[in-house]
Amino acid sequence: MTRILIVDDEASIRLLYSQELTDEGYEVDAAGTIAEALALLKEKSYDVALLDIKLKNESGLDLLQQLVKERHDMSVILSTAFSCYRDDFSAWLADGYVVKSSDMQELKDEIKRLLERKAR
Amino acid sequence: MEFECCWFNSGRSPLECPNIEEGEEYLYTSQRKRLVEKCLTCPSFRRDLERIPEDNELRHIVSILREEYLEQRGHLNSLSAFLSSKSREIKFLHELSMVLQTSMDLDEVLSVAMTAITSGKGFGMNRAFLLMTDPERRYLRGHIGVGPRNYEEAWQIWDEVDRSNFSLAELSRQFYKSKLSSEKAKFQDILEHLTVPLHDGTHIFNRALRERRPILVENAFQNPEVDPVLASTLGVDHFLVMPLISRNRSIGILLTDNFVTNKLITPRDMQSLQTFAFPVAFAIERASLYERLHEEVEKQVQANQKLQEQQELIVRMEKMAVVGRITATIAHSIRNPLAAIGGYARALLKSSATLEQKREYLENIVVEAGHLDEVLHEVLSYSDSLHPVMDYWDLNQLALAVTSELKPLLRERDITLDLNLDADLPAAWLDYKQISYCLRTIVNHVATNQPQVDRIEVQTSRGHDTVTLCVNDNGLALTGELKKALTTPFTAIEKLGMGIGLPLCKVILERHGCSFVIEDRPEGGNRYCIVLQHKKEEKTL
Repeated sequence: MTRILIVDDEASIRLLYSQELTDEGYEVDAAGTIAEALALLKEKSYDVALLDIKLKNESGLDLLQQLVKERHDMSVILSTAFSCYRDDFSAWLADGYVVKSSDMQELKDEIKRLLERKAR
Repeated sequence: MEFECCWFNSGRSPLECPNIEEGEEYLYTSQRKRLVEKCLTCPSFRRDLERIPEDNELRHIVSILREEYLEQRGHLNSLSAFLSSKSREIKFLHELSMVLQTSMDLDEVLSVAMTAITSGKGFGMNRAFLLMTDPERRYLRGHIGVGPRNYEEAWQIWDEVDRSNFSLAELSRQFYKSKLSSEKAKFQDILEHLTVPLHDGTHIFNRALRERRPILVENAFQNPEVDPVLASTLGVDHFLVMPLISRNRSIGILLTDNFVTNKLITPRDMQSLQTFAFPVAFAIERASLYERLHEEVEKQVQANQKLQEQQELIVRMEKMAVVGRITATIAHSIRNPLAAIGGYARALLKSSATLEQKREYLENIVVEAGHLDEVLHEVLSYSDSLHPVMDYWDLNQLALAVTSELKPLLRERDITLDLNLDADLPAAWLDYKQISYCLRTIVNHVATNQPQVDRIEVQTSRGHDTVTLCVNDNGLALTGELKKALTTPFTAIEKLGMGIGLPLCKVILERHGCSFVIEDRPEGGNRYCIVLQHKKEEKTL
């Protein structure tokens, strides 16, 4: 089963994304901080990581750099309320970029696209 | 013996002495003066002497005395003329020096110098050329030429000068105002040929500079020491090369000749010009330096202007960056709860959700709507902070009211509140709503975000002109970086609710003319202090 890791400091967003993606048939885990995310990554491997950029006192971009170096087989999607990071060089390392919205269709499509690309 | 001359008579009438002219009437009454000034040169007196017999010794002695006297008188007249000439020269040099010492304008200095050399009231040379050392000190280059190009022009110029009867100063002023540029253009062809590299040691110009003395060139067309090109360019075989040296620096060369009249330049002319050359060289150097200084100052002014423009641009960009940051932060703070609310609402619309899930979704919607409300409140508070309403208020009463509101929050977090209020506190000049907001925000921040806090003290005290309101906690001491970040608007350390709260307190207090300080407490924990004026100050509004 495809496994997805959600990293977001907002509990309500974590819950919402977890429910929605579980309904889509994915196996989903969620972390509120970088430390929690790294702990989960030690235990399991994931196909896709959904990463928020603003994590209280941390930056999701730092975790992104680490994942790009160490987890070549995992796709990373940046999911943020900011649209300005699309132009940030650090953000270009990600495989996808989705601006947070109440309509999660764009996020779901992006996950599918990356999984299909990986399968090829 | 009958004498032809009237020299021996006293009290002569005008008819008897034909040599006495109008204005010399005093000679009628002074035989001694008349004898010396008139009789000794009078032909009748000479003839009377010749009529004295040759064997008379007196004739011989008087003749010797007369000749000696006339010779001495001629010598005295010559000396007098020389002195007059020198006196005029000194007066002329003084007049020039005054201009040369005071002028900082290179063109004005050159106008005075070149007019002095070529004017009949000055040195009276026909033409003069000035060559100047270039700034890189590699070449001597023709800079300006003054004088006529041909005989016709010469007579025309001299006639004009004679009729105008201008003084030297007036002539040089006229030259400066109306002729300087045209004279430069008139001699452009000659000036172009007067460029000489300074390293050419054999050239007569460089020789004059090296030996620091003028060289009077004669027979230039056949002179082996003179470059034939130079001789043919000038078209004269007799000219003077005058070095211009100031403080051991070669300033240039002054070339002068009598191209029209062919009058020989005498050693005395050369000596006078040499005396003149010193102040000219100094004045040219000073004016050149001043000109360069002026250019440098102009560059500095332009650079300063650019710098100022850049600074203004930076300030504008900073303001725009702040606006951008504010907008982005607000957008972020709104989008997060909106995404959650919308997302949960959509999930609710799906019939597959269980009752328990629906309840959870609705709870999240309520919580996120509350966040949106907080965002709105913070943004409006920020907007309100721009328009404070100042008055005298009891700070203790304000502290009691605010802490009373916060008691449920503190209870919920098991935090004990201590009030330590100064009973003699004077009224403070403040905006009640805004200072209440600041106190509420600080206590809220400490209770919500500060780790390991179980006791908060709100304290008031008075200083000389101030009253202080402090919130003390017993939690972990904040790092310097974090203290700074807490009062910097929209830093990425917290969500909007607190991201704007403490910085807004700082803004509000600055507008009150007061300070907001976060510091370590000696006994552990942190102290957030608001220092307010208890007297009204104009600049606080």
